[in-house]
Amino acid sequence: MRTALLAAALLAALAAPAAAQRLLDWSEAEVALVGQHGPWPLPPARDASNRISGTPVGIALGEHLFNDARLSGDGLMSCATCHQAGRDWSDGRARGRARVDLDRRTPSLWNVGYLHWFGWTGAGDSLWAQSIRPILDPLEMAGSRERASRLLREDKDLACGYERAFGTKPDGDDERLLVDAAKALAAFQATLVSPRTRFDDFRDALVAGDREAAARYGLSEQRGLKLFIGEGNCNACHFGPRFTNGEFGDIGIAFFVRPGEVDSGRLGGIATLAASPFNLLGRYNDDPSGISARRTRHVRHLHSNFGEFRVPGLRQVGRSAAYMHNGGFATLEDVVRHYSEVSPDRLHSDGTPLVRPLGLSAQQSTDLVAFLRSLDADPPPRPAPSPLCP
Amino acid sequence: MRLLAALFAFFFANAAWADCPLDLGRGTGLVIFSDHYMIAFRPDPLRIEVGEPFALLFNVCTKSGSAGELVAVDAQMPEHKHTMNYHPSIVSKGDGRFRAEGLVFHMAGHWEISIDVRAGEEIERLTHDYYIK
Ligand code: HEC
Ligand code: HEC
Repeated sequence: MRTALLAAALLAALAAPAAAQRLLDWSEAEVALVGQHGPWPLPPARDASNRISGTPVGIALGEHLFNDARLSGDGLMSCATCHQAGRDWSDGRARGRARVDLDRRTPSLWNVGYLHWFGWTGAGDSLWAQSIRPILDPLEMAGSRERASRLLREDKDLACGYERAFGTKPDGDDERLLVDAAKALAAFQATLVSPRTRFDDFRDALVAGDREAAARYGLSEQRGLKLFIGEGNCNACHFGPRFTNGEFGDIGIAFFVRPGEVDSGRLGGIATLAASPFNLLGRYNDDPSGISARRTRHVRHLHSNFGEFRVPGLRQVGRSAAYMHNGGFATLEDVVRHYSEVSPDRLHSDGTPLVRPLGLSAQQSTDLVAFLRSLDADPPPRPAPSPLCP
Repeated sequence: MRLLAALFAFFFANAAWADCPLDLGRGTGLVIFSDHYMIAFRPDPLRIEVGEPFALLFNVCTKSGSAGELVAVDAQMPEHKHTMNYHPSIVSKGDGRFRAEGLVFHMAGHWEISIDVRAGEEIERLTHDYYIK
């Protein structure tokens, strides 16, 4: 009897500090920094440069086109070939594969509607312009203006869907119809918003001062998050609710594609953008105010653009390996090892570098990965697209 | 705030500055000055968000009371020695009033904006520090 009591007392004594430890100490400054990564989800994305953005009829047309292989030159490849719903809108490969292997990884399309630069180098300044690229690229879908416009005109369902979305029959010139197809594709992709995660529950509880709810978030995840917003300085670039500031950075990833050939990153992206007839300064921008074109008008050429790539958002990151623009890392553990061990020689910075070898302990690395994984969640099942014009 | 009040006191005590209009609408912005210039400015929108484009509205005045010219506006993070990824453009609204469009602070932290002004030949640079959260 006495031993039982003693054991109970001991247990209580042990349990008390353990329970109190479920929530680490979070300073006011840290709470503010954590708060910046939410709330989630954001309000639906709207794109002033796309007149059917956010319209149910435009979204429906876009979803049908997204899955339609007839947009490609040989009728065998659709957007969904590489951006697969069941693979978090990517393809699970280190680098994209079409007829040939591509040099860059297929990015996931989660939360793509909130971006302002598209592709790894920001060669696109709108979601619709970025959606034209794979259709015309001879290495990818190898389609054409004529092919896309013929499809919209001649397929009964698509022609009907077009008329509902745009209010006119598909009889514009070929290039305009290609752009409209891309605007429908964009309207659809902007609806791909990743679900709430365990991190979001923690963030909301912490900001609201609800210690009990906050303590449901694992200790390892909490420590990893502290590293992320603290010593790791990760939030300098992976900022805000999407965990990206939408701009570009150089974190010391090799940019050799093959011996003797480099991927110039943002440098090439700006050049491609400037040369594109579909950029926001061109005739296809539906926004008369000019506000949507501000970044394009003012973007600046910098020496440091060479070898910079867009800062990826980190929601659903654990679900869509491989990592980096070239798929060079297979796992999140590899990514964290990179940030832990990166050689300062590979980082070009005159001032205090934003990225430096962190020299993480095994425990810290585990914590950081645990935090990153708390940004993942299972998306709800998707219903099959409803018919365009039943 | 007290500093601003002090600046205004200074300003009104110096009759030569009196013609310089400091009102930028929607409340007055910040005022900085050198031996030759007095510059009032404010962001539009008033709150600068990380990664979001904003404009700066300026009134540039010289000590003699005449309007000055805004030649260039730029910003950098002194700690990391990098500039903005955007190059602001300047539109003159007449009478020493200007609008600089296309600024983006793409990271949180300390940004130093540089304001290049001129009334005659020589360009003078004034600076101001922003701490963005
Ligand atoms: C052969 C595989 C493949 C096909 C087919 C494909 N994509 Fe992609 N997608 C990629 C790759 C690779 C990239 C990265 C391109 C780059 O940055 O150089 C990409 C990038 C994108 C992006 C930019 C995402 C971001 O995070 O900025 C969008 C949007 C996109 N694709 C939409 C589409 C649409 C719409 C289609 C169909 C019209 C399509 N893709 C067809 C492989 C593909
Ligand atoms: C200087 C800005 C910057 C900082 C600081 C930074 N990152 Fe990154 N991060 C990037 C860029 C840019 C890429 C993509 C690089 C590429 O593709 O070549 C990236 C890629 C990643 C990826 C791979 C995502 C994907 O989809 O491929 C992860 C995960 C990641 N970073 C986590 C972190 C963590 C954790 C930290 C802190 C230890 C951190 N980052 C600090 C800019 C930064």
